[in-house]
Amino acid sequence: MAELTQNEKRLLAILEKEHKADAPHLASLLDATPEAVVQWAHLAEEKGLVSLERFVDKAFIYTDEGKEYLKHGLPETQLLKFIRNDTPLADLQKHAAFRIGFGQLRKKGLISVKNGTVSKVGESSTADDETALKNPQAGDPRTKELIKRGILQETETVTYRVSITLEGTALVKKSHTITLESEHKIVIGTLSRDQIISREWKNLNFRRYDVAKLPKRVYPGKTHPYQRLIEEMRQILLEMGFTEIYGDIVQSSFWNFDALFQPQDHPAREMQDTFYLKEQAPLPAGWEKVRDMHERGGETSSTGWGGTWNKKKAEQCVLRTHTTSLSIQHLAANPNPPVKAFCISRVYRREAIDPTHTPEFEQLEGIVMDKGVSFRHLLGYLKEFYGRMGFEDVRFRPAYFPYTEPSVEPEIYVDGLGWVEMGGAGIFREEVTAPWGITYPVLAWGLGVSRVAMLKLGLKDLRLLYRSDIEWIRESPVHRDQKVTKGGRK
Amino acid sequence: MAVIGLPYKYLERLTGTDHETILARLPMIGSEVERQEADHADVEFFPDRPDLFSVEGVSRAMRGFLDIETGLPRYTVKPSGIKFTVDPNLATIRPCLGSAIIRNVTFDEESILSIMGLQEALHWAVGRGRSKVAIGIHDLDTIKPPFHYIASPRSRKFIPLDFERELSMDEILVEHPKGRDYAKIVKDFPLFPLIIDNENNVCSFPPIINGERTRVTTSTRNILLDTTGTDNKAVQVAVNIICTAMAETGAAIESVEIEGVQTPLLAPMERIISVRECCDLIGVELPATEIANLLEKMRFGAQPVDRGTVKVQVPCYRADIMHDWDIFEDVAIAYGYDKFAVEISPTFAIGRAHPVYTIAAQVRGILAGLGYLEMMPFTLTNERVLYDAMQRERSSRVLSLMHPISEEHTVVRTDILPLLLEMLQVNKPRELPQCLFATGDVIEDMRTTQRLAAASIHLNADLSEAYACTDAVLHELSITYIVQESKDPAFIDGRRGDIIAGGKKVGVFGEIHPSVLNAFDLEHPVAAFELDLRAVPGYPAL
Repeated sequence: MAELTQNEKRLLAILEKEHKADAPHLASLLDATPEAVVQWAHLAEEKGLVSLERFVDKAFIYTDEGKEYLKHGLPETQLLKFIRNDTPLADLQKHAAFRIGFGQLRKKGLISVKNGTVSKVGESSTADDETALKNPQAGDPRTKELIKRGILQETETVTYRVSITLEGTALVKKSHTITLESEHKIVIGTLSRDQIISREWKNLNFRRYDVAKLPKRVYPGKTHPYQRLIEEMRQILLEMGFTEIYGDIVQSSFWNFDALFQPQDHPAREMQDTFYLKEQAPLPAGWEKVRDMHERGGETSSTGWGGTWNKKKAEQCVLRTHTTSLSIQHLAANPNPPVKAFCISRVYRREAIDPTHTPEFEQLEGIVMDKGVSFRHLLGYLKEFYGRMGFEDVRFRPAYFPYTEPSVEPEIYVDGLGWVEMGGAGIFREEVTAPWGITYPVLAWGLGVSRVAMLKLGLKDLRLLYRSDIEWIRESPVHRDQKVTKGGRK
Repeated sequence: MAVIGLPYKYLERLTGTDHETILARLPMIGSEVERQEADHADVEFFPDRPDLFSVEGVSRAMRGFLDIETGLPRYTVKPSGIKFTVDPNLATIRPCLGSAIIRNVTFDEESILSIMGLQEALHWAVGRGRSKVAIGIHDLDTIKPPFHYIASPRSRKFIPLDFERELSMDEILVEHPKGRDYAKIVKDFPLFPLIIDNENNVCSFPPIINGERTRVTTSTRNILLDTTGTDNKAVQVAVNIICTAMAETGAAIESVEIEGVQTPLLAPMERIISVRECCDLIGVELPATEIANLLEKMRFGAQPVDRGTVKVQVPCYRADIMHDWDIFEDVAIAYGYDKFAVEISPTFAIGRAHPVYTIAAQVRGILAGLGYLEMMPFTLTNERVLYDAMQRERSSRVLSLMHPISEEHTVVRTDILPLLLEMLQVNKPRELPQCLFATGDVIEDMRTTQRLAAASIHLNADLSEAYACTDAVLHELSITYIVQESKDPAFIDGRRGDIIAGGKKVGVFGEIHPSVLNAFDLEHPVAAFELDLRAVPGYPAL
C-alpha cells in the first residue's frame, strides 16, 4: 500500500471515532478547509480506506430583478390588474410594467387585442406563475421559464460525506503511526502572512520539497564580462596609485605620431594602417620643438631623423592608433614629477575583421615619471602589474618601439600555451620628452586588453567581445575562478 | 616585420658555434624565433636593426653576444678607381646615389639567397617599399666603367631581368611584374632614372628592375652595387649594410668616386657617453670598464676615457644609433634583461579615477540593477544603421573615415541606440525578454563624449516601461529633468518624449517605431532610451 500522508493519517484517526461525517464537520475537527478534507479523503478512498459520498443539493436564488418581482408581483400580474374588458391599448402603454408584462400576457394567451382595445380571455390569472416564483421547484416547467427569463438562478451545492471502511478501521487499529497526536498539525505549501503573525505556523508542518531538482535559472542584469575584466585592471592601477586619463578619440597626427618621434615616412603612419580623417587640427604651442627634434635632434645627443618636417602632415587628424597620444599630452600638461597615470581606452587600426583582429580594441597604458626611476623599475612595474593580474611568471625580452629606448617585451607564462607575448614597454626617448620640458625618465607600458580577455575569458574569437551573444553574457559568472598561472619551472 | 631565414650550416660556419647555442640566445638580443626546421630557422628581427637582416649580419652580432669575437668589426676600403656620374636632371626625380665595388665574391646558393633576402628586407625597412631607397647588384665583369646615373627618355629599350626580349621603360611598367608593383614611384616623371655603363649597356632601371645582362649567378666574382633614392642618409645606410655583410664572407670592398667623392668609407661614428647617465637610465651600477666590455659584446668599439666617460665607436651599419640612450639600451641587452634585480620605484602618488569613468561605472550599476545586460558594440558603424534604419536625418556632425576598410564601418557613431538595436537583431534567436544597455564614447563635431543607451524587447514593451526606466536612471544620476513630446522619427508618435535638463535636450525615450523594428528585422515591440551623460552633475568639461 502506498505511503499515507500525514493528513490522511489524521483523517483516518478522526474517522475511527466518528465513523461517518460530513466534510465541513471533519474540517472543523481537523482545523482545515472542507476542500482539503475532501482532497485527503479522495486519496484515502483510492487506497480503499474510506468511502466518499457526494450529494448535490439544487437551490434557487433570485436575481435583482427576481427580488423586485417577489415584492411587487411579476410584470404580467401587475399589468393584468389594469385590464378590464375593452381597455384602450394606449392606456396600458402608460403602465410601467407594459413592456415586459404585455408580451408575457399575449404569449400566455391571457388577453386578446382587437381594434386598439385589450380584453381578458376567460378567467385569466397569473397565480400559478406567482406560485412558481415564490416557491420554485426543480423540474417544474414554470420554474424553468423563470430561470430562462433571468428572474431565478439555479445553484448546486455539493456536499461530501466521508465514512471509514472496514479496511480503514483495521488499519487504524493495527498502526501506531495513525494517531490523533498530529491532530492539529497541517502540512502547508506557502506560508501566509496570517499564519506568521498569528503564530499559527507553530501548528503547521511544511511540505517537503525535492531539492535535488534544479530550478529554472534566472539571470541578473549585469555588466559585460569584458568590462568586468577592464574594471579589474582599473582597480589594480588605482590601488597602485595611478591617476586615470580620459581623452578624445580624434587626435592630430602631431599628438598621435610626431610628438612620439615617429618619422613622417614611418610605415605605421601609412594610410593602410591608420584611419585618417579629412579634418585638420591646429598644433599646440611648442610644436616647433618637436619639428626641431625630428629634423636635427633638438638640443639632445640625438641626430634626429634628418630631412624636412612637414607641418601640414602633423595637422591631419586620425582616430588615435594608441593611447600613448593621451599619455604624452598628460605629460606635456604635467611636466613635473611625480606622475603616475594610466588609461584604458579604445584605439583604432585599419585592420580587416577576423577572429584575432578588430579595427578597434581596448589598450591599457601606464606611465611613471619621477626623479630616479630607471629601466629596472619599469621591469618591476611590469612584474607587479602582471602578478596582480594573476600571471606570476613574467620574463623580459629586448624589443623595438619607435618612441622608447630601452624597449622591452614582457612575456607571461600561461598553462597550456607556454610563454605568451604581452604588450610592450620602455622608457620614452628623450626626443619625445625633451620638447615638453620633461627632464626625468618616463617609464611606459602598454598592452592590448583584448589579448588578456582571450586568455582570461577563454575566447577564441575577439569579435564576440563587440558583437556579443546574450547567452554568453547571461552564462558568464560575475566572479571568475582566478587561476593563478605558474611557470613551467614551478 | 622582417623574417630572415637562417640555414644552420651557413650560420654555423660564419659564427663558429652550433645552431642550438645561437638560437637559444638569439631572442635576448631582440628577435623572435618563428619556426625551427630541420635545416634552417625563420627568425623575426625588428625594423630598427636592418643590419640583422642577413645570415652574415646575425652571425656578426652573435659572435659578439656569445663572446666568440667582440669589439668593433674593422672593414678596409680601397679605392677602385671607378667613377660614377650623376645626371643633374635627376635632382627632382631620384637624386641620391650610393655605390661600391665588391670583389672576390664566392657565391654559393646560400650566400646568394642571403644577399637577395637582405636586399628585399632593406627595400622594406629602410627603402619604404623602394620609394626611399632601392638597391641593385650587378656582375661587374659584364659591364665597362665608368658608370652613369642618368635621367632617360621613357622610350629607352633594354632586356629587363627574367625577360628574353627588349621592352621600353614605359612597357616595363605595364608588362613586367616588378614594373606593375612599383610603377607608382616613377610614373609621373617625364624622364626615368637609368644606370648605364660606358658602352651604353643598361645595368638598372631604378627603383624598378635590373637589366638581364648584369644578372648575378654563382659564378659571379665581382659586383657593382648601386643604391638610389630620395634620402642620402638612408641610401648610405643601405650601402654600408650590404658591403659589411659581404665583407663578413671574405669579399673585398672598394670605393667608387661619385661626383668627386669616394664612397663608401665604412668608418665608425664616434660618441662619448656618460657612465652616470647610462647607469641612471638602466638602473644598474656599472663601472666604465664594465660598460665598455658590454658594448664590445654588442660589436661597438669602446674604451673608458676616465671613470665617468666611455668613448664608443658605432659601427657604420648601426643605423638605429641616433642618441646616447640607444647605446645604453645595448648595454642593458648585453647585461641581460633576465639579470635585472627588478623592483617598483618608491614613487609616491595617490591614485585617482577619472570622473567620466566613475560616472560610467555608476551607470552600469544602475542598469544592471534594473535587470539590463551590458553590450560593448563597436564605435565604428555606417550611416545606414545610424540614420536610415532609424528613420532619422543623416547628421552633418558625423565623423567620416577617409579610407574605410568596409561598407560596414565608414563613420564613428553619433548615437548608441542604433547599435543596440543591431545587437537585438544579432540575438533574435535568444530567449525574451532581452534588456540591453551600452555606455561609451560617441563623436559629434570631432568631440568625444559619453552616452548611455538601453533597449528592452518583449511582448509588452511599451512607453510606460521606457518612461519608468528613464525616470529611474535620471533619478539615480541626480539629473533634474522635464519631458516634452518628442519628434524623433525613430519612435512612435504620441509614445515618445525628449528629456530636457538645464534647458537642453539631453536624451530621448519611447516606443520604437514599427518601421524601425522592420528595418532591424525585429518582431516584438521595443522600449528604449538614450541619454547624453554630460547631463550628469559633475561630468567634467573637457
